[in-house]
Amino acid sequence: MSNKAVKIGLTIVVLALALAGLLRATLREGTEYFKHVDEVLANPSAWQGKNLQLHGYVVRDSILRKRDSLDYRFKVTAKVGDGVRVLPAQYTGVVPDTFADDAEVVLKGKLEADGFHVAPNGVVAKCPSKYEAKKNAAGSPGD
Amino acid sequence: MASLGTFTLLAAFVVSAYAAAAAIVGARRASPSLVSSAIGAFYLVAALLTVGTAVIVHAFATDDYSIKYVQHYSDSFQPLVYKLTAYWGGLDGSIMFWVFLLAVFGSIAIRVNRERQRELIPYVVAVISLVEMFFLFLMVAHKNPFDTFLVSVPENGRGMSPLLQNPYMVIHPPALYVGFVAMTIPYAFGMAALITGHVDDSWLRAVRRWTIVSWLFLSFGLALGMIWAYEVLGWGGYWGWDPVENAGLLPWFTATAFLHSALVQERRGLLRTWNVTLVIVTFFLTIFGTFMTRSGVVQSVHAFGEDRTMAVMFTVFMVLLLVVSFGFVIRRLGLLRGQQEIDSWLSREGAVRANNWLMMFAAFFLLFATMFPTLSEALTGQRMTVGPPFFNTWMLPIGLALLFLTGVGPLLAWRRTTPANLKEQFLAPAIVAVAMPVALLLLGVPIWPVGACFALCAFVTVTIVQEFIRGAAVRRRASGSNYLVAMATLVARSKRRYGGYLVHLSIVLMFVGFAGEAFKVEQQVLLKLGQQASVGHYVVRNDGIRITDDGQKQMITGHVAVFRDGREIDSVYPGKWLYRQHEQEPVSQVAIRRGVAEDLYIVMPDFELQNQSMTLQIVINPLVDWIWVGFCLLGLGTLMALLPEEMFGFETARLVAATVPVPSSDAVDRERGGQGGR
Repeated sequence: MSNKAVKIGLTIVVLALALAGLLRATLREGTEYFKHVDEVLANPSAWQGKNLQLHGYVVRDSILRKRDSLDYRFKVTAKVGDGVRVLPAQYTGVVPDTFADDAEVVLKGKLEADGFHVAPNGVVAKCPSKYEAKKNAAGSPGD
Repeated sequence: MASLGTFTLLAAFVVSAYAAAAAIVGARRASPSLVSSAIGAFYLVAALLTVGTAVIVHAFATDDYSIKYVQHYSDSFQPLVYKLTAYWGGLDGSIMFWVFLLAVFGSIAIRVNRERQRELIPYVVAVISLVEMFFLFLMVAHKNPFDTFLVSVPENGRGMSPLLQNPYMVIHPPALYVGFVAMTIPYAFGMAALITGHVDDSWLRAVRRWTIVSWLFLSFGLALGMIWAYEVLGWGGYWGWDPVENAGLLPWFTATAFLHSALVQERRGLLRTWNVTLVIVTFFLTIFGTFMTRSGVVQSVHAFGEDRTMAVMFTVFMVLLLVVSFGFVIRRLGLLRGQQEIDSWLSREGAVRANNWLMMFAAFFLLFATMFPTLSEALTGQRMTVGPPFFNTWMLPIGLALLFLTGVGPLLAWRRTTPANLKEQFLAPAIVAVAMPVALLLLGVPIWPVGACFALCAFVTVTIVQEFIRGAAVRRRASGSNYLVAMATLVARSKRRYGGYLVHLSIVLMFVGFAGEAFKVEQQVLLKLGQQASVGHYVVRNDGIRITDDGQKQMITGHVAVFRDGREIDSVYPGKWLYRQHEQEPVSQVAIRRGVAEDLYIVMPDFELQNQSMTLQIVINPLVDWIWVGFCLLGLGTLMALLPEEMFGFETARLVAATVPVPSSDAVDRERGGQGGR
């Protein structure tokens, strides 16, 4: 009996350790820090080179697009209307329909010395009503 | 009208409270009249909620914007069908729809089992009534869909989000809802069994069909959600491991596990505790899924504060639910413990067990990963998130292992499988499973994970085909008819078994579709008028942009010519619609050119009218349509398993008679006699 218990116990411990190890290893590559613009601006050097999901708002009239290309440059801030404490960002690719002045955005990418480099398909924009719509799309408890 | 609606909710709350109390007291005092009155009250709740539903649907149909909920999710331009479906378009209404369905399903389940399950029924009534009370309380106290504007009534509504004005959104939420809500019924019967101590198999038999039906709807709901995401959201994929999607998948895993382990209990009397646990966990996950997606705990850092009241209500309910449910499990542990243990792991029940553990693991991993941002913030103060790659890293091996078991399980014998048996069953599938990767390797397909997935798909397909052929051969020899008829008789006679095989086959088809993702090609191009670009083996050309208007919305359509091997094969029309009520939310209309081998998927995210230039996002999605084909087959197989076992017995017997060669009268008599004797 105790022998069996020991065996079971050992199996569980080994499995748990293996699982924890795997989780740790996969998490290290896969995680991104979710940060607001002001948090990053407070100490930019600490966040350079890390995978970030940057939350903020697009500064009004800051969106620039290079002619005949999908290269965008824009600025993000922590608060709508704040044009002073801003972080420049650059992105190449298609932006969502809702990406516009003052739009609430989450940008996936890395902070570099010359600003935030958004990863491909890394712009998630939501205006409040769309956000709600998305939730309902869920339609339900589940979806 | 709104006050009538609020009244029905209040009345339903009071009546369901009575139903719960009367049912429990009636059962304890063994008073049939009290139990009867509880059942009557239970039906009354369903009637009241039907009235409430009629009120809200009427309000939507007649554009009654004095009700806030109606004003928020409808407007006068909205086509009637979307006005009506706006009922479940928002939070308050969707909760009401939930209770309404629960009351109706509960009434049907009670009505059907009233005579057969006399001991269980009072507690089933009580459990369902308590769940109804929670949701009714939520509405009455916090989220009343009948709230009205106190001062000035707006002239028009705000309108439902254009993204939801889509045929899939008409049926997707109700399908998923039906799946979620119907899971309450097995839970209620399981709890009744625990409370009364009648933990034999009768509760399982009572809920078998319910579970299959709700599982079917859940699968259907998930599928429709995927199709909606694919066709409407326009990012080229169908599953993004979004918390909302995961919430639907969680109970699907545990419900699937339950469907399999219930079979083991029916056949071998094993896994009793496990089955009750699965039912409880599945129900819990449906509630948790609602909580997760509705209270906003997961989506955003601030969301918890946004609807703290609701989060608190849900938390209290969920904690109570777990404590009470598992309290009863522990109390009945002695009764639940079976006499037997599994004889050998190399048996059907062993495979089911392995399947169950994997399913549970999948569910808990998914739960962990979905909650990870919230968890990491609570533990470390740093909000960290995980993306789809993390989910894929884990779910991919789990999925493949499950696929493997799909093939292995049904071929193993109950109790134990002998080596001779193993060889007979697995020789052909194993050869194919080895040959396939070799062939794929020669074709240059990477072995992990795509090659492995295809190999497993082939393996499972062979096991299933082998089952059909062997079964048909046996019947053919017995009846003397031809193969086709033998196959039909076979399937008609054990619908549950062969329906199950069809479902397994549908899973294979879906995995083929999932594997196609590995060959996905994605490109974004900017095209001036007349300019062309090549993507994969296609070439696309910008043929200009047109604008039309239908009163509700302005439609901008890109005309794109598609070439392949230098020949023009098609024109596709990605568009962008601007709804009057939602100018800020243009909706992309995806152009999909479907094919057996691949889909060409084109979105026009941006355009310029002056010079007719357009930005196109072009995705080539190989094999993706096999997922939808798989879902159709899944529905077919499940429906077949749901048919009564006796159905079609006579017709197939006639078929047999018609094909048996002369002198056949004896054979026919024998066959008929055999039918009658069954």
